[in-house]
Amino acid sequence: MPLASRKRLSMGRRLFVAAAAAMAVAGGLSAADGLPVLDYARDVQPLLDTYCYDCHGNGVNKGQVALDEFSSDQDLYDQHGLWLKVLKNVRAGLMPAEGEPKPTATELATLERWIKTQVFKSDPAQPDPGHVTVRRLNRVEYRETIRELMGVDYDSEAEFPADDTGHGFDNLGEVLSSSPLLFEKYLQAAATVVDKAVPRQPRVPRQMTTSPRDFTRSDGARNALVKGQAGGATTTVFTVKEAGEYRLEMEAGVARSFDFDPASSLATIRINGEEVMQQEVLWGSKSLRLDRTLDLPAGRLELTLALEPQTGGDGVDATFFDVRVSSARLTGPLAPDKWVPADNYQRFFPRSQPPTDAAGRDAYARTILRTFATRAYRRPVAEATIDRLVTLARSVYSQPDQRLEDGFARAAMAVLASPSFIFRLEEPLAADHAEPFPRIDEFALASRLSYLLWSSMPDRELLELAEKGVLRQHLPAQVDRMIASPKSKAFVRNFVGQWLQARDIETVSINTRVILGGQRLPFDELRKVFDGSVRRALRSETEAYFDHVLREDRSLLELIDSNYTFLNAKLAAYYGLPPVEGDELRKVELPPDSVRGGILTQGTVLAVTSNPTRTSLVKRGLFVLENIVGQPPPQPPVNIPPLDESARRDGKAVSLREVLAEHRASPQCSSCHTRMDPIGFALENFDAMGRWRATEDGLPIDASGQLATGETFSDIRDLKRLLVNERRFDTYQGITEKFLIYALGRGIDYRDVPTVDSIVDALESSGGKISTLVMGVVQSAPFQRMRRDSLPESETTVLPVGTAVTSSTPASSPSFP
Amino acid sequence: MKPFTVLDPQTYAQQRHLALNRRQFLRGLGACIALPVFESSLRPMVRAATASKVPLRTAFVYFPNGAHQANWWPTGQGGAFELGKTMQPLAGLKNSIQVLGGLDHKNATAGNDGGGDHARANATFLTGMRARKTDSTDIRVGVSIDQVAAQHVGHLTRFSSLELSCDAVRKSGSCDTGYSCAYQYNISWRSPTTPMTPESNPRLVFERLFGSGAPDERQRNFERRQATQKSLLDFVLEDTRSVARRLGARDRDKLDEYLTSVRAIEQRIERAGSFGVLPEPGMESPGGVPANFGEHMDLMYDLLAVAFQTDSTRIATLLLAGDGANRAFPEIGIPEGHHYCSHHRNQPELMGKVAQIDLYYMRHFAKFLEKLRVMKDVDGNSILHNSMIVYGCGNSDGNRHTHDNLPVILAGGGGGSFSSGRYTSFSGKPMSNLLLTMAERAGVTGLERFGDSTGRLAGL
Repeated sequence: MPLASRKRLSMGRRLFVAAAAAMAVAGGLSAADGLPVLDYARDVQPLLDTYCYDCHGNGVNKGQVALDEFSSDQDLYDQHGLWLKVLKNVRAGLMPAEGEPKPTATELATLERWIKTQVFKSDPAQPDPGHVTVRRLNRVEYRETIRELMGVDYDSEAEFPADDTGHGFDNLGEVLSSSPLLFEKYLQAAATVVDKAVPRQPRVPRQMTTSPRDFTRSDGARNALVKGQAGGATTTVFTVKEAGEYRLEMEAGVARSFDFDPASSLATIRINGEEVMQQEVLWGSKSLRLDRTLDLPAGRLELTLALEPQTGGDGVDATFFDVRVSSARLTGPLAPDKWVPADNYQRFFPRSQPPTDAAGRDAYARTILRTFATRAYRRPVAEATIDRLVTLARSVYSQPDQRLEDGFARAAMAVLASPSFIFRLEEPLAADHAEPFPRIDEFALASRLSYLLWSSMPDRELLELAEKGVLRQHLPAQVDRMIASPKSKAFVRNFVGQWLQARDIETVSINTRVILGGQRLPFDELRKVFDGSVRRALRSETEAYFDHVLREDRSLLELIDSNYTFLNAKLAAYYGLPPVEGDELRKVELPPDSVRGGILTQGTVLAVTSNPTRTSLVKRGLFVLENIVGQPPPQPPVNIPPLDESARRDGKAVSLREVLAEHRASPQCSSCHTRMDPIGFALENFDAMGRWRATEDGLPIDASGQLATGETFSDIRDLKRLLVNERRFDTYQGITEKFLIYALGRGIDYRDVPTVDSIVDALESSGGKISTLVMGVVQSAPFQRMRRDSLPESETTVLPVGTAVTSSTPASSPSFP
Repeated sequence: MKPFTVLDPQTYAQQRHLALNRRQFLRGLGACIALPVFESSLRPMVRAATASKVPLRTAFVYFPNGAHQANWWPTGQGGAFELGKTMQPLAGLKNSIQVLGGLDHKNATAGNDGGGDHARANATFLTGMRARKTDSTDIRVGVSIDQVAAQHVGHLTRFSSLELSCDAVRKSGSCDTGYSCAYQYNISWRSPTTPMTPESNPRLVFERLFGSGAPDERQRNFERRQATQKSLLDFVLEDTRSVARRLGARDRDKLDEYLTSVRAIEQRIERAGSFGVLPEPGMESPGGVPANFGEHMDLMYDLLAVAFQTDSTRIATLLLAGDGANRAFPEIGIPEGHHYCSHHRNQPELMGKVAQIDLYYMRHFAKFLEKLRVMKDVDGNSILHNSMIVYGCGNSDGNRHTHDNLPVILAGGGGGSFSSGRYTSFSGKPMSNLLLTMAERAGVTGLERFGDSTGRLAGL
């Protein structure tokens, strides 16, 4: 049955083309496709009259849609949004509605071609790439870019305000705005990152730093916090490899003391049991700081902080505060001949020592700043910019006690705060200066690729290919390389995190007590059912699943239905599947007839589309329509409350079907809910945490239903089969549209129909391979080209590209690992 | 009504100088109140002879999803009114508040825009304008009233305005039907197209206001940071200009946003010198975002209070949660989401839960007002006396998504100019009239209309 229907459907599609070709009769031929030019009154209106006007014409405007009310002929052709809806609904078989007469394939082809050629005016020879508003790095991209460029991690997700989103994604140029607060953050981040990443001298004493996790408390806990009430001590151990002079630093702060607390404690710091410092700690005390220079023998060094509560003595009710060690560091041997090369020095400074003469220093500064800025701006940098950077650097290193590295560091901060770094600036290819839709230059292309597949800046290889102007020639190989790289995990995390809202699983509000209802479990047990480790594992499952499809170049349809998933011990138990050992997620073949397999039955999607205490079949149905099949229903009418899904009336359980039936009686609700609800019903066998259930409130769950397009199904397994067989074009289209939005950084509209159509056709030929989607998008006009009107008005012809990179030869350029 | 004047910058600078010389921080007074008043440590505040010369502070606090109507509205009117159930936490503050009824935001109603009442409620609240319905392109609403005020009086303080939010985590995916999330997570708009991003992390708010590091290092850290930042600005400005020249008109708007932001920081750094040393907040630097929502609100309110007390800013907004928020409140035994409950369709159980959530929000607001009441301003009055604080929502009845008779409380004495302790119903006046009236009191001159205002609100 599935095979047969697949055949039927693809034949139907091909019929469109064949039928259209057969129509090459009287009338002019279109220049673009060699087919006859269609006439609205002669070829199109009769179709609308026969199939549409009963509900959408002659004064009837069901769903606020009328297809015969235009203020002028021009108005009819200007209603791009309306005709896009018509095209989508008719193609998907949603219109004419179930039970109404359907047009023939030939008639459909005529309508489709008329919309595309005469309303959208699509020109396959010269597709309009649309305008991508200049994009600033969002905070995820900022973090990844800093990691690649500077070799340090900066937690921009904690430090920067959240980015606004549109169309469900946070990388759209139009919605990524700047504010004084954000610029202030950029300035701070630039200083913090540079201080952390850029060493100020080539060789430094070796440093050993312990984190709070490296402390062991007297009660055995690995904890750097000593409780004031109980007292006690916490200890960390350094291994001194070589005898010599060392500097030992430790910092500890008073924790938990917002309100005045009359308590006091005596803090003692010991090195190998010997007391080196003692201090009384009171409310409002400054932090405790140890900074000693010591002569140390090789061997073990034990550093201990002990806290001894002092009673108030006057009967004051003291609550006591705690003391927490924030860091401990051992630096040495301090003798300069024992110093080691500074971490990261080579990343910025190719020479082992900067030149000492003034002219040599300036020339060196110019070289290293050009290399750095070119890399940071991801394209050649104008000479005037380099001049300004050198001037800034010199203003620092020309001062008596400052080194060249300090000057470089200051200029690097300026680079990181400048718009050329923060924004992704794109220029057209010089050779295309006469084109209305020139190709973007290869530096821009390198960035589009790297931010798409890595959420990060282009690496050295991409930039080198762009510089030689041969990136386009190597595109397929580069895309393969980029997907194979571990950096593509960022794409999986960010795309899946937003497309499927998998990100939200870690914070979604879920009330296990209510969901588990009758099961009387102790609080701790209840919490564990859906705690952080379960949530993280669920997210990992969805990511690993998509990652597998991507890396193994599987079919997009496997995202919907497969006989495997990714599990660890916890998840297998959570889903009630045969046991799996260990914490590591691995690919597991599912038992025959399992409901799992595919993203729709993963805990992430099921939980993020639920309410805190119960499932929401409307949210789930909507999710599938919007994110999987790309057919979002029209917006709800104003001031209509959402469907009551509590499935209770006067405290008595009634089946959801009864509630729904009540609801469907209302015509203004039914047109959308006949689309959403059946899909939601199919998922009712999963509770709000995504676990299987056969009944709800003691009533058996009936997961069968009928899609708005007429196909019936008995349960979720059946529905998944529909989505990957009869409805697979919808699935291809839905996923393609989401990926295209993410890849382009803009919403899509009627102009993108040809791009989406050609990718969907290619997916059908390749059996849905994900590489077809990725390459299809990467090779498409919207990804490869820009609009002329995206350029400044004054520049009507060729744009001078900034000064070429002169430090590109490996010998003179520092190596960026 | 007493006249209110904003000091001219020169007088202000002289008086601040006097205040500075007296600066001394008294440590450890705070055994009984969370935010002890350190009068003598007050930075730059004016020692004015009359109450009217003390700076007036303005804040707008937004709570989501409307209010349970039956419990919100007082009975009686004018000075003889009884607080409704939701406002019981304000019982002790009854004489410091005015309950305002009959204020509408027509521009938040559906009009021809269809669904999306939550996005509109949020976007219209302080702008009085209709938000353009768009998910990504062409975001547009209007400049918000706090930013209008900031443009007039912002130069008098270290921060021209402060934008805070308790939405630390954002949901991915789409926001309210067809509207960009920008409308739902921002109430403050610097230009019709650019929101003022709010800060939700209490630690970062603290560090912006009072510097980072141990208390004795903050001043030095701050000065070093300012000097470094200042040295970068020329380069950044020049780069912004040269990049903007290379862009088409549509993209140039984005660079203009950036340029304006750089300029704003440049001005702040230039001004900073004239404000002397950093103020002492009298509170410890908080950690990150607390797991408990109530604690998060308290911390943001605390920071807002000390920002006012130290005269770090006079204009602030606090978005407690974007409208439509579906936060659950397990801490008060409500496992369902707020938005879910708000569509109660008159089921008593859900209505009760909405009322409880309203009360929960109100308790924290009341705590904030209490704090402001015990904070002494330089003129001997309380900070609350010298403030005007709106607590409200752009939705009135969350169940029906109405935008008339909005729930609005105007707290504070307005520097002695308000006749507080009353319930006034304006029976169908634009909310924008209130915003316009407040802007004038805050020192805005020459503003004749704002949003859909039809005039000023008499008798506050």
